[in-house]
Amino acid sequence: MAVADLPRSSDARPRAPFPLARRSLLLLLLVLFGWAAATSGIPVERILRAPAGIWNIARLMFPPDWAYAGRALGAMVESVHIAWFGTVIGAALSLPLALLAAKNVTGQATSTGARQVLNAFRAIPELVLAVVFVAMIGLGAVPGALAIGIHSIGTLGKLASEAIESIDRGPLEAADAVGATWLQKMRWGVLPQALPEIVAFWLYRFEINIRASAILGVIGAGGVGAVLSNTVSYRRWDKAGMTLIVVVVVTLLIDAVSGRIRRRIISGGDTSAEVAEGEMVLQAGA
Amino acid sequence: MSAALPDARPTRPARSKLVWVAVALFLAMTAWSWDGIGFSPAELVEKADNARRIVDDMFPVAWQAWPVLVEPLLETFRMAVIGSVIGCSLALLVGFLASQVTAPNGVVYGVSKTLMSVVRSIPDVLYALLFVAAVSIGPLAGVLALVFFNVGVVAKLLSETVDAVPLGPLEAADAAGATFVQRVRAAVFPQVLPNYLAYALYTFELNLRASVVLGLVGAGGIGQVLRIAQTRYRYDVIALIIFVTFVIVFLVEALSISLRRRLS
Amino acid sequence: MIRFEHASVTYPGGVHALKDVSLEIPDGQMVVIVGLSGAGKSTLIRAINGLVPLTSGRVLVDDEDVTAADRKHLRRIRSRIGMIFQGFNLVNRTTVLNNVLMGRLYHTPTWRTILGRYTPEQIDLGMRSLERVEIVEKAYTRASNLSGGQQQRVGIARALAQDPRIILADEPVASLDPPTSHVVMRDLQRINRELGITVITNLHFLDLARQYGDRIIGLRAGELVFDGSGAQVDEKVFEDIYGRSLTADDVLEKRAEL
Ligand SMILES: Nc1ncnc2c1ncn2[C@@H]1O[C@H](COP(=O)(O)OP(=O)(O)OP(=O)(O)O)[C@@H](O)[C@H]1O
Ligand SMILES: [Mg+2]
Repeated sequence: MAVADLPRSSDARPRAPFPLARRSLLLLLLVLFGWAAATSGIPVERILRAPAGIWNIARLMFPPDWAYAGRALGAMVESVHIAWFGTVIGAALSLPLALLAAKNVTGQATSTGARQVLNAFRAIPELVLAVVFVAMIGLGAVPGALAIGIHSIGTLGKLASEAIESIDRGPLEAADAVGATWLQKMRWGVLPQALPEIVAFWLYRFEINIRASAILGVIGAGGVGAVLSNTVSYRRWDKAGMTLIVVVVVTLLIDAVSGRIRRRIISGGDTSAEVAEGEMVLQAGA
Repeated sequence: MSAALPDARPTRPARSKLVWVAVALFLAMTAWSWDGIGFSPAELVEKADNARRIVDDMFPVAWQAWPVLVEPLLETFRMAVIGSVIGCSLALLVGFLASQVTAPNGVVYGVSKTLMSVVRSIPDVLYALLFVAAVSIGPLAGVLALVFFNVGVVAKLLSETVDAVPLGPLEAADAAGATFVQRVRAAVFPQVLPNYLAYALYTFELNLRASVVLGLVGAGGIGQVLRIAQTRYRYDVIALIIFVTFVIVFLVEALSISLRRRLS
Repeated sequence: MIRFEHASVTYPGGVHALKDVSLEIPDGQMVVIVGLSGAGKSTLIRAINGLVPLTSGRVLVDDEDVTAADRKHLRRIRSRIGMIFQGFNLVNRTTVLNNVLMGRLYHTPTWRTILGRYTPEQIDLGMRSLERVEIVEKAYTRASNLSGGQQQRVGIARALAQDPRIILADEPVASLDPPTSHVVMRDLQRINRELGITVITNLHFLDLARQYGDRIIGLRAGELVFDGSGAQVDEKVFEDIYGRSLTADDVLEKRAEL
């Protein structure tokens, strides 16, 4: 006897529930996409020609102009400097805000206020900030670093405040018991617990900021972006190709080193920290 | 005094030595980049007057200019939508190919993983720069840039989520005689779907912010207005753009947070 | 019918998990495999559907050589063998019914799987399987919202949905409490008796093995050391299998009293 021949044993079979949320979400997405595609005004023939255009340029980039490697690398190193210095600025400025934004350190009201300030920093893209800073202090790497620093405050502050909120309360109570001042409490009760995680965020942000700093050059805020922008506008594809290679290699190298240190800090070399990155991204938002 | 006492005291663990190495490295890197970008607080102070002038120029904000922004804003939004949908769909495929759990074989895994890292290492605006040259000025270049950027971000997050998925259901699918694709769809996909959707929402936010600036290199959207305002020293218009960016990002984030809460 | 012919398994680490095992299991039997942890019970069971490949010898299922089968052939053989796991191996984030329908994957075109659209016939079969283990009212509940015992019954329903000739169960009750263990074992027994499906189960507890097994197979260090009925398992046989005398840890009921 086969399973298919079994008698239906009951009338208890439930009916399939209508997946309302799922369907409406899908519909919304389709409508949005349809609207965006229909009104985009992108000519179809241009879409059809795009692969050939991209292929053409990719072909012209290789072989790259190896002689240009030094120049490209110099510019990329400046981008790395901008990213590092910007991250340091962001980290330094975000710490006090993070303490204010942590509910267990201050209170509900202060925390909510500080969070909104952090969100505000996050909302403005670094390139927009850089446009303003370049106007204020002139072309160069310094306005770029400032733009990256200011923008980073948002994410770094938010992640740090959440790390602080998840600390163990015991040491704080112990510090209260011996009559510690607020500053002493922060230094000995809060920071030691949250610091490893916070430092890992800093490094993670540094990796992101490498990418951010590589584009600043297109508006004159220093780094490799200017080199790529120039080679592209003069159609020196072999030089552009070389620059691109330098960007990719240096970025991947820094990712690898920084990622390894990060994992070491958080979990002593355990690879499960990789997944924490997804969690981190979701916690902090964009 | 007992002679045994000093022996019982532990020496400070070697770990602290590592910490000092880290601190030294940190200081060295900071000094190097300080020097590298030519940072000078004195110079910043000197520029304070100029900075104040720019801020003065920003106010009053050019509210009357808003009609100019409507079409570019819509374009920005459209680019973000199209780029997200296409980019996240492609990322679904790449993400599965770049996880050891779901890659059909080691070669595909290695190639996808490498490709993914390379794609991820090039920032959105550099893609835009290249695509503007390849397909000419306009939103198409912007969409293409966002697609590449998204594949990099979402595929990486997704593949790492897939790596951590419990393997039991995969074994069950194998035992039932599933094909490779069926196994991925039936045993892995449902496990990572909520994460995937959350990553997609996250990149939509990223895209919206990115597509604000893509126009700076000619890839369509509100960035084009930003560029024009910049060359004409219209800081009141830039202030308006900043304000508008603010509003959109906050709105989309609020929406995204409420959606994400439902997902989990 | 299942036939092992001089089957041996050596794992990459060098462990000889199965040593020259030959045995025959005719259709419709309820077989329980017992042995110490590491004796090779899971290996023996997994060799039947090819989840663990043999290093030498052969395994035949209905005269088809599992050892020699290519991927496609292996999938066909597997489609007729249901499997139940100690950890249930359900997809937590989807419905009970979707989990049960995983048992239909072999008979579902890939495009249907991708779209997640099953035919009414498939769904009917899934529902029947759930009715068999008396949990049909949970069909549209998320698997993660069920208790352990309920989850294992979903696991059984998934195996049933394959419409199998054989069901393999690798320690199906090891994650469950004693009363629930009996519920699950009775389900398996009923499936064996009423549907004539061959059921092969690994069990840790000797009293459960005696109560539910028509035939008991004892493994020790990868070798077949006992093959007979539950009634034949006495203190001496036990010592052959376990290398020591019976303790409270080896029976379910005693443990439950602790
Ligand atoms: N994938 C593997 N790789 C290497 N060695 C393995 C693997 N799986 C099992 N072994 C080893 O093979 C031997 C038999 O394992 P098996 O899982 O068949 O035992 P078991 O009787 O099911 O034990 P348990 O009761 O603990 O489940 C053990 O020594 C085990 O360590
Ligand atoms: Mg086992």
